[in-house]
Amino acid sequence: MPLDTSTYSLALLRLDGRRWNELRRLTAQISTQASADGSSFLSMGNTKVICTVTGPSEVKAAPGASGRGDEAVVSVEISVAGFSGVERKRRGKGDKRIYEMQTTIATAFQATLFTHLYPRSTITISLHILSLDGSLLATCLNASTLALIDAGVPMRDYICATTAGSTSSYSSNDEKADPLLDLNGSEELELPFLTVATCGTEDEVSVLVMETRVQVGRLEGMLAVGVDGCKQVRDILDVVVRARGKRILEGSQL
Amino acid sequence: MAITILAPAPAVQPYRAAEASDSDSDDGGADVHGDINMRPSKRARHDYADIVTPGEVVTDEDQWMRATVAGTVQKTNKLLSVRPLRARYTPEIGDLVVGRIIEVQSKKWRVDVGAPVLASLPLSAINLPGGILRKRTETDELQIRTSFSEGDLLIAEVQSLFQDGSASLHTRSLKYGKLRNGVFMSISGTGGGGGVVRARRQLWTIDTMNGGGKVDVILGVNGYIWINKHIEVAGGDTVITRMEESVSATVYSSQNDRLPNRARDSANRTKRYMIDF
Repeated sequence: MPLDTSTYSLALLRLDGRRWNELRRLTAQISTQASADGSSFLSMGNTKVICTVTGPSEVKAAPGASGRGDEAVVSVEISVAGFSGVERKRRGKGDKRIYEMQTTIATAFQATLFTHLYPRSTITISLHILSLDGSLLATCLNASTLALIDAGVPMRDYICATTAGSTSSYSSNDEKADPLLDLNGSEELELPFLTVATCGTEDEVSVLVMETRVQVGRLEGMLAVGVDGCKQVRDILDVVVRARGKRILEGSQL
Repeated sequence: MAITILAPAPAVQPYRAAEASDSDSDDGGADVHGDINMRPSKRARHDYADIVTPGEVVTDEDQWMRATVAGTVQKTNKLLSVRPLRARYTPEIGDLVVGRIIEVQSKKWRVDVGAPVLASLPLSAINLPGGILRKRTETDELQIRTSFSEGDLLIAEVQSLFQDGSASLHTRSLKYGKLRNGVFMSISGTGGGGGVVRARRQLWTIDTMNGGGKVDVILGVNGYIWINKHIEVAGGDTVITRMEESVSATVYSSQNDRLPNRARDSANRTKRYMIDF
């Protein structure tokens, strides 16, 4: 068992040495690709994502697509590199989970971006997952936020995301066990977890995804820890954006 | 596609508002001190505290307002605006732009000028070969591709803006029209456009070394740049209409002239300099 719950309850340290409310190392860069309108590279622990934003630009609407004429349409493309996981795996285009992530990200940004300023255009977010170790949806959301800021698309606020899991199990009857913040790949495999994204500093939840089963009493604690983690993420992203802006104002492009 | 990933940066420490000076945290980076202290800022003050990020409160005096893009706050009397660090080009009337024809329709062309939506160039807004007084006929509509076809580059001016912010262009001047004998490049950068600011003069002629001759550089406000061999306008002293007739025969040619290698080199060299710059 990768996550030895017995040692966790003794030392309260997770497998990678973090405490329950600690984020993994989060690094981010903006404007990694000069040719794109906006781009970013973000890593949360060993999950690494490159994001490029094209647009807002006018593209030929696909036949059958319900194009709304009065506001921009956000479309998301996710590609998972074959070398991203531990085992080399080929993922087809028709992966349902990837498809659901695309829809989740597109819906979240459709609501947060000021799409009405760009009628008849499309904002394309393309995400390339280079390395995969848990909290994938959260990493994708954070990377998209940075790339969209780099592209200069007006938005209400940062969308910041983290995951939160619950260690307590019914059998051990430890109701007071702390929820865990920012799960890595091995923790995600065996703990129930949720992905939460907030918009802004006022704890406004914009994305909430949970694919596992958990007792309803633990949900509140997980959510509270997740929302708190989003705040930490927002502070970190804000520093990255400010540092980038400072460098631009000083005159150097990179 | 070139991907530049810099060496791993150290983990970012969260931005602490307490450490920043109180002037930053109180008013969100913009200095709002009432009506007396308002000064029009002609140029962006380059200060760390001046950068606002999305969601940051720009002002809460009288009216509450927050930023939606990352950029610098600009204040014109009582109007606050945030200039994005980087954004797509937004057309304005009178801008000189370099564009590429994307689509040909029955009476107009759709032109990519780097803006969120394609600009349009109506058939009625170009100079047809054969002088300014020529009437537009159905034959011209049928032969619309003889003037501009898909992929052609052109230089034009923004004539008017539509409701949705897209531009309508015109090329009704001898300075404007189809581009050939040169290289295209695009830059993106700071400000509300492509890093090129609107200036009094946007066509520069540069003397090059090694017998390369003169090179014209056209800086489009949208960040598209065209570099070509300088062509002396023949018969500059003739009457305008006569000159138009003589020039118009070749103005819609898509055939590149045979250029001496040196002229080609100098254009390419200029492009490299521009990239370095």
